[in-house]
This record gives sequence, structure tokens and C-alpha cells, in this order.
Amino acid sequence: MAKIEKIRVTLRVNGEEYPLFIAPYLTLFEALREELHLTGAKESCGRGACGSCTVLLDGRPVRSCLLLAAEAEGREVTTIEGLGRQGALHPIQEAFVSHHAIQCGFCTPGMILTAKALLDRNPDPTEEEIRAALSGNICRCTGYKKIVEAVKAASAKTAPSGAIKTAPGSGE
Amino acid sequence: MSIIGKSAGRVDTAAKATGEALFSADLTLPRMLVGKVLRSPHAHARILHVDTSRAERLPGVRAVVTGTDSTQEKWGVFRYTQDQAFLPSDKVRFIGEEVAAVAAIDEETALEALDLIRIEYEELPAVFSVEEAMRPGAPLIHDTNPGNINVNVKIDVGDVEKGFIESYYVTEGTFSAPEDSYFQAEPYAVVASFDSSGNLDIWMPNAGPHLKSKPLSNCLRMPLNKVRVRKITIGGAFGGRSEISPADVVCALLARKAGLPVKIVYTREENTVATRQAHSMIATIKTGVDREGHVIARDITCHMDGGAYSSTGPIAVSVPFLCMEQAYRMENVRYNGYRVFTNKPIRGMYRTHGRAFACGVDLQLDMIARELGIDPVEIRLRNARRQGDYTPTKSLVVSCAMTETIERAADAARWKEKWGKLPPFHGIGIGCNSVQTGFPMGIRGGSSAFIKFNEDGGATVISGVVDNGQGNENMIVQIASEELGIMPEDIQLITADTEVTPSDPGSYSMCETFVGGNAVRLAAKDAKGKLFKFAARALEAKPEDLEARGRKIFVKGEPERSIPFARAIRLALSKGESISGEGSYWPKVDPRREWVENPFGQLSETFSFGTTIIEVQVDPETGLVDVVEAWAAQDVGRAINPKVVEGQFEGGLTMGGQGGMLTEYHLWDGGRCLNPDQLDYRLPLAPDMPKINSIIVESHDPAGPYGAKEAGMSIAMSAAQAYVSAVCNAIGAPINEYPLTPDKILEAIENKNRKG
Repeated sequence: MAKIEKIRVTLRVNGEEYPLFIAPYLTLFEALREELHLTGAKESCGRGACGSCTVLLDGRPVRSCLLLAAEAEGREVTTIEGLGRQGALHPIQEAFVSHHAIQCGFCTPGMILTAKALLDRNPDPTEEEIRAALSGNICRCTGYKKIVEAVKAASAKTAPSGAIKTAPGSGE
Repeated sequence: MSIIGKSAGRVDTAAKATGEALFSADLTLPRMLVGKVLRSPHAHARILHVDTSRAERLPGVRAVVTGTDSTQEKWGVFRYTQDQAFLPSDKVRFIGEEVAAVAAIDEETALEALDLIRIEYEELPAVFSVEEAMRPGAPLIHDTNPGNINVNVKIDVGDVEKGFIESYYVTEGTFSAPEDSYFQAEPYAVVASFDSSGNLDIWMPNAGPHLKSKPLSNCLRMPLNKVRVRKITIGGAFGGRSEISPADVVCALLARKAGLPVKIVYTREENTVATRQAHSMIATIKTGVDREGHVIARDITCHMDGGAYSSTGPIAVSVPFLCMEQAYRMENVRYNGYRVFTNKPIRGMYRTHGRAFACGVDLQLDMIARELGIDPVEIRLRNARRQGDYTPTKSLVVSCAMTETIERAADAARWKEKWGKLPPFHGIGIGCNSVQTGFPMGIRGGSSAFIKFNEDGGATVISGVVDNGQGNENMIVQIASEELGIMPEDIQLITADTEVTPSDPGSYSMCETFVGGNAVRLAAKDAKGKLFKFAARALEAKPEDLEARGRKIFVKGEPERSIPFARAIRLALSKGESISGEGSYWPKVDPRREWVENPFGQLSETFSFGTTIIEVQVDPETGLVDVVEAWAAQDVGRAINPKVVEGQFEGGLTMGGQGGMLTEYHLWDGGRCLNPDQLDYRLPLAPDMPKINSIIVESHDPAGPYGAKEAGMSIAMSAAQAYVSAVCNAIGAPINEYPLTPDKILEAIENKNRKG
């Protein structure tokens, strides 16, 4: 099999630029994992059905397994590693922990990023809006109740002062 | 109690919220290779010839393994069910079975190498259902098993025939459900690495590292202490990660042959087809009752499609019956359970194992109640298991609040106001179930734990208990800190690593809190007792008069006479003693009990009991079910962390009821699974879920740690039953085939209308 020539792609991830030399068919998910060693996004289905590989692209949730890395060039990628870390959690991460919204944790990074995109564009969503926003993220452990409660609690913390900054391009 | 019974945040979840927690697929080791598995395209075929020469010559390929590299040591949970060789060399028995594997420098090369492996097969006739498999003259999947019968469990208690004669009313029905699947969020993944001394380090999602290491040492012909199953974050199990997987063996063989670390990450399809699925089932149930609705006799025949190999066979056939004999009183009962081989993927234990049977039992209670003019809640109260009872197979029920779960769920749901008074196509239903807290597991039945103190007052707990996501690590921390009288943040955990942690039965039979938690409690007690000797001297008191709380040791009733925990530890060190504690807990089960030969005696030291009530609206035009609200009440013994317990109720109800009874099932074309991933297998989503009300009932088990038993499994099971009960109530007709998809609901409505 003839090897396909690699291409140069510069990714901007969590505020930093990464010049990469990668196969053109590499997905954003694979590039994050293999080139940048960011393993927070998870692969559960590999077909865009489960939402575990969700990252934010210019503030909007996308499935990184369905997107080529090259398509993300020139855009701002946010992964779970770009939110908070232990000891300095983002308010949504904090709410997920304190509201017991995490069991096995495999869907959690995608769930939290989807919630962030929701709260950035709608700081005070109704329960129905939260459930609709999370409908592309499958959780097999929790039954979603405590996840919805966590997002609601995070929204109360961040709205109306708008402590969570809206990423550029995420406004609707 | 300062820590037990409180809903503090879990110790493991901040790392999961930041992406810091590593799952098996996230691991990278220097020079690690990518492993890929070649699978059988045939449901049943003899392997005639295997040629890997072209694959081996492909640049970048570092190892190829086939049946000749495998010891052909057979796996099965019991000595008499060992029938699965990994990378079989004689024949393949289902589509997707492992026949060869490759390790290469990258995924592309590994996949290309798989294409270069030539395998010559002689196709054999195959069977894809219990009926086909048991037909006279059907092809045999294992020569050792005539009629393709893997296991037959027979239980006969009392006088069933006499019971039916004496019954006032008798009903009989057949209930069935196809296969469903775990769909753990994390697809299976393994990383294996050998050092030059021949030690194997291996990481994989598991429901018990010690359950994995022993069969691995057998299959690889290695001493047990060289097989080091390492601690790793695990993305869900639900019964499905307990056994050794072919991927474990294959990955280790590749790593050994290549002399380099290898990682295998399953695709979702591989996870569905080549790990475990849940059994499909056909259950015929005959129930006889007296005038008041007390069950006098029950006769049950179950056939379960076990797929190509035994797996947990005898346990799998027994558990559906055992759960129901625990939940409801039945004096005269006969059970005839068959697990049958077919040329389909292997079936294992599942969170709502045997849904067709459980739903059949409860649906019959509803039908009987209607016939006799009794309220469905009342008929369940009349048949509910009580504390002090013996089950038909002779287990003493030490603690039981089944009645209270029924009453409290019914009160919360305002059952009396709703039953029989809801508008058309609006229904309410109830289900009850019970699960074990461990099985007789021979030498693997008990758990041990160690605790060592640090000179600053902290403690390290060493336990084989594994956390699959349910919060077991937090459970250990809460128990250890409560017992020691220090804070949760003072505890450091070392768990689920076979090199350092003592044996443990695994998070497999709902036993980790009861068995593993008790071991940790006893280890803490032991360590504390030793420390109290030194503290007593300093406080001029007797050790038995001391108490520890809030990092202090003090004289009972005289909190001012105290010594800080850290000082007591340093005092001991200054006397030349480094204090540690040890604890072991072996549940009181009857060791003579055997699943097939002798299914009598104490099965589990204690049991949990649960009731779920569901309210639904059915659209008679589309057959779609809208679940209005859910109430879940379980006797958990004692809630060590109420929010964690609620999470188990909510997740169990979602999987067992919402998914299990409305949308989840596999579709087949012969032996090929047509919906192996989340696009075509419908899992519940956030907008699907009703409001869930959790009701924690505490019976304070005398032997459980702080009275705790098990959290949530009785809900997962009873939820399935309640969903069926509610939908059938809404449409006013029974449905015996599950799940309750719109086509079946519309058909039931049409049949009812036709009959008038």
C-alpha cells in the first residue's frame, strides 16, 4: 500500500499553538490523543453517536471522532484539560463532583464540555433545555438525573454575573 | 457516626472531571505496539489451515499469534464448564471469535497485516436459537454436550402438583426477551508488558483483578505472582468485566512474542460481539394461588441462549430464579433452567439478568390480582419475603424490609389515589426483586485488607476491592475513616492491584460493600486497637474505654482527656512499634452449596430487597410510551453515602427499566449481530428519562459494615418488572414479549379491541 503523504497542520488547543506533521486522514480525536497526548476526550462508539469524544470548536461542541484534524486548523479547540485542574476546578466540574454527577467518568469530559457550551450561550437554561442539550451525550451509569442537577447548579453559580466567559464564535 | 451516612463528594471524581483519570486505552508505554485481532467470519467452522507468513513479512509487524501460540488451556468459571480455548486451533463457534492477532508499529500496519493472514475454513452447519439448538439431529457445538445443553439446573421444593390441586386459581404463561447488552461507556482495552524477568504487567477494565490474574496465569502457564493485574480507572462493568477475556491472553501473547508492550483497544462492535452479551430467554411460568392471592405453587421452565461457550453458565441459569425466590415467598416450587449453546456470541451475567422471567412473575401477580379483585400492591405485600424466613433453597433471610419498600414506594407514588382511576392509556405498575450480596465462591469468597499508619496521622488502606464506577473506593474511604476516627482526606488508597493487594472476590456479585467493606472495617479496627494500647498508657486509661473521632483518641465520656491521633502513632514508633492492621471477612455461606449438584444451603449471607413503581402514558396511535414518573425504594441495609446510593437507584432504573424494557435488544441475521453500536442499539438519553424518586430503606443488617448490604441492584431488576406492569396496566392487556416496543404495544391493543 502506498503511504499517503503527511501534511502540516497547526492546531490551536487550549490557548496554545501546536504545529503538527500528520496523516491527512487523522481525526481531531486521534491528533489530540496521539500527537498532543490529551486523552481527556474518550472514544466510546467512534461513529458520532455517543458524545464521549466531544470537544469545543470555537466554543461549540463537536464530535472529535467525526472531524479531521485538518478541519480544525485556524480554529480554537478546547478540551477538558483546558477547563480546570484538581484544586482549581471550573464551576461546572465542581458542580459535577459535588452533585455526584460522575460514576465511571468515561462520558464525563464530553458531558462537561457540552454543558459548558450550553451555559455559554444560555446561562440560565430550563431543565428541558439542559436535557435537550445533553441528548447527544450517552451516560450508561447515572440515569442523567444528577448530571442535570449539576448543570442546573453550575448555571445558578455562573448566571447572571456571567462568570463563564463566552468563547468567541459561540454566540447565537 | 460522623462520616457514614453522609453524602460527601466521592474521592475519585475530581480526577474524572478534569480528564486526569486514565482508562486502559489512555495508557502509553515506550515503544508500545498496536495490537489487532483477526476474527472468524463464520458462525461455525473447522479451522483447516492458517498461513501468517505474508503478514509476518510486512514491514512494521513485530508479532503474529495464532492457535499454535496459545496453550489451548480452556476457560470456564467452573472446572466442569471449561470449554473455551483462546485462539482456538480446532474450530470457531461464533462470528467474531478470535483466530489470530498482530502487533505492529501502528494501526494501519496492524490492519494491513490482518488482511494478509490466510485462514482456510470448512464451514459447518450452525444453530442460532434455543429451538434450533435443541432440535433432534442439530449440529453439536461442543461434542461433550448432547442436545447442545450446557447446563441444566433443577430445583424442586415442596409438592408442586399438590400445590396446584389445592390452588383456588392457576395461571400459566410464556415470557420471552432477546439478547441485550452492557454498553459500558468504555470499550474493552488491554495493555500488556513483560519485563526481562518474565513479569507481566497488564491493565484492563475488570470487575476484580484477582478474578483475572489466576486464569491468566493458567492460560499463560506463568506463576501467579508474575501476573500483575494493575490498577486502572474502569468505565463501567454491569456484570460484564468479571471474566478473563481473550483480549487479555492475546495481548499478553503478542507482548511476549514481540518483546515490547502491546495495546489492544476494541472497537464498539468488538466490545459488543467479543466480550459478553446478556442471555436471551424464554420462560414458562405456572402460578397457583389461594383465594387471598397467596402463592401456593409455582412451576418454572427457563431456556437461556448462552451463545458459544459456558462462561458463567451455572450461575447464569440459577440467578434469575434465585432473585425471585428471595423476593417472594413460595413454598412449593419447581425450577428447571437450561442454558443452551448456540453459534452466537458468549453470554454472561448482566445487571438485569433474566428480565423475561422476572417480568413474567410480576405480570402474573397483576393478572391474578385482577382475577381475585385484589390491589396489585396488596398481593405483593401478601407474598413479600419477610425477615427470618428461609428461601425455598434454604437461605436464612437475616434482614429484610421488602414490605417497607412496597409500602413506602406505594405511598410516595400515591398508589391508592391512582390505581384503577387513571384515564385511558395511562397506567401505573409495580415490581419487586431481591439480589444477593455475594455467592459461594470457594477460595475467592472472602476479602482481606491491610492498613498502615503514617507518622503524621494519615493511613494507607490496601484492599483488593475494585471500583467500576459505582463508588467502591469512596465506600472504603468512608468506612476506614469512620472506624479509625480520622478524616476521609487522611486516607490514601492502594486498591485492585494483584501485586500488592490481598485477594478479593471482585465487584461481581454485589458483594463489595458487604465483603470488601467489612474486611476494611476489620482491618481498621485491628489497627485502632493496637494504637489504643499506646494511647491508653499516655491517657492513663484502659484501651477498651477509648474512642477515636476527629483525629483524636479520647476517653469515652471525657472528651477533654485526649491525645491527637498522630501523637499516638509517634508514641508507638518511639517504642519501636510501627502499627498496621489486618482484616479479613468471609461471608457466612454454605460451602457445600453447588449450583447444579446441590443448590441448597445459605447462598449469600444477606440479601437486598427493592420495589419500583412506574407511571406511564401510552400513545395508542403510535405505541410510544411516555414515562411520567418513577419511584424506587430499596432496602440497602444502611446507606453509607446516600447520594451514591441514589445514583445507583437512578442508573439501575434507567438501564433495567427505561432501556431494558422499552428500547434495548439485539437484532440478528443468523449469527451476525446487526446493531452492535449506539447508533442502532437505543440506549436511554437525557430527555427520555422521567422524574426519579429514590427512597432509601434501611434495615440495618446485623453483619453488614455499619449495617450496609447492597445498593441499587434490586432497583435495576424491579424497574424492569414495574415498566411491564405499568404499560400493561395502561393498555389493559398483558404483553409477554419484551422489550415493549411500539409494534408489540399496538398489537396488544389491537388484539384487545378485537376481543372486545
